[in-house]
Amino acid sequence: MTAIVQSQPAQAEGRLTEAVGRTWMRFWFTPADTRPLAAVRILAGLLGLVLAGSYAGDLETWFGPGGMIPLDGPEGWVGTRVPSLFALARSTVILWALFGLLLAALVAVTLGLGGRLACVAAAALWASLLARGPVLAGPADDCLAVLLWCLVVGPASARWSIDGLLRGRRGLPTAGHSVWARVALGLVRVHVAAITLAVLLAQLKGDSWWDGTAAWWLAARPGSATHGLTRVYRGSEYLMNLVTHAIVAFEVVFAGGLWFAATRRLVARAGLVAWPLIGVLAGEPCWGLAMAIFCVAAVFPTEAADYTFHRYGTVGIQGPATDTVSPRSPG
Amino acid sequence: MSVALAFYLVGLAISIAGNSVSGSSALLRSVASRLFVPWMAPAWLDLGFDDPLTSGTPEDGDHRLELRSHTAASDPIRLPGELAGERAARWRRLARGIALAHADDAAAGLAAGIGRGSFARCGNEDVIVRVLRTPLADRVGPPRPPRLEQVYAARVRRVDGDLQLIELGGGARRSELAPLLPSPVSARDRDGAEDAVGASP
Repeated sequence: MTAIVQSQPAQAEGRLTEAVGRTWMRFWFTPADTRPLAAVRILAGLLGLVLAGSYAGDLETWFGPGGMIPLDGPEGWVGTRVPSLFALARSTVILWALFGLLLAALVAVTLGLGGRLACVAAAALWASLLARGPVLAGPADDCLAVLLWCLVVGPASARWSIDGLLRGRRGLPTAGHSVWARVALGLVRVHVAAITLAVLLAQLKGDSWWDGTAAWWLAARPGSATHGLTRVYRGSEYLMNLVTHAIVAFEVVFAGGLWFAATRRLVARAGLVAWPLIGVLAGEPCWGLAMAIFCVAAVFPTEAADYTFHRYGTVGIQGPATDTVSPRSPG
Repeated sequence: MSVALAFYLVGLAISIAGNSVSGSSALLRSVASRLFVPWMAPAWLDLGFDDPLTSGTPEDGDHRLELRSHTAASDPIRLPGELAGERAARWRRLARGIALAHADDAAAGLAAGIGRGSFARCGNEDVIVRVLRTPLADRVGPPRPPRLEQVYAARVRRVDGDLQLIELGGGARRSELAPLLPSPVSARDRDGAEDAVGASP
């Protein structure tokens, strides 16, 4: 009897450990469809071109020899002393060459050319550009850096890409489902939840998100695209409160809902619309778009319906001309 | 692989907790600086993401830069001026960066860099750098036309190769003439002189 009583907590603990382990393995290592990752790749590449393009007009003014953000200043001049490839640009030619490489890498990422190498180049050069002038970087830039590194992890150019076309012509197989795609999509999901949580916590430290006036302050910035809303808010305090609380409520639901199978795709779809809207309201439309791109990873189903997970490391490989997925992976 | 993922997730959590505007504990700073910052910071992953979008404070107002020659009577250069979109947003961030760093030396560093970078534009090696802010409209009371207020002002000039910065206005911390950045040539000369002194018997 004593033995039975003692073994019950041990059994419960064993079951809990097993359940946690199973959930962990399922979340990270169930082979996933590579198409959502390809969609993230294309959208992140396009956003990257827009954001990098915004540097082009003032690149020499900021980072050129004798530029406004020089390298030889005191500590704190350019924020943290993070190594940057752009710090090597002691002449205008090298500066533009590096910037050209960044643009080329982003084009390659968008088109799906060069596989992981293009993603690594784009992520490293983008991080270097931001590190060269941290004071110029905004929230959209931060999100893009995260997205590009996530693309490095998975086979982002397996589908909807020039790489895929070339593989198809050579008769080589295309990864329809992949463990690495799952890891990359999992990282995208973890990051978007973490970013939302960080934004939410930062908001709840301030009074304006509690007293319902944040919507006013968002619209009241001179030059804001939604400045016209101030007139509406003047007429209806309740509407202003509603918009403020709706943003917070959405963030709460989004950060939590991503983790439940029943709500994940619903909140991700809502995010596709809500984040760009919040971005416009906040005067950071590119940030809103970046957050929406994160959502793409969770919008589509990533698992084959008939797939049964066996063990870590299994990868479904399919032929070039079919979209069906092998339910029983090799090995 | 699981270990690597778990390690990264811990790093992500610590970088978010450690980069909060509220500050971080000594423990988190120590762990982050030893284990995570060395590889997460260069990858631009050591981030707090804690942008509240707005906090209803004056710092949320629209910031811009004004550059003009101190001696010549010419029209000031206002940035972002007519620029729009993300490009304009970067200029606003730069101006806001100075406004937020006003309490420490980082503002002087940034302003000096901007001043030095604008010598050619202003056609003079003695310029005034100002950060102007349009405050947020008040919700109570009738709407008023937006007005600009000065948040930071400094005179930046180059004298004998040395960059000097003098902060202007009521809240100036560097109101005296202060050499901020020695020119590379004069710095080398000074180092050489010190070495020579050190080497002398």
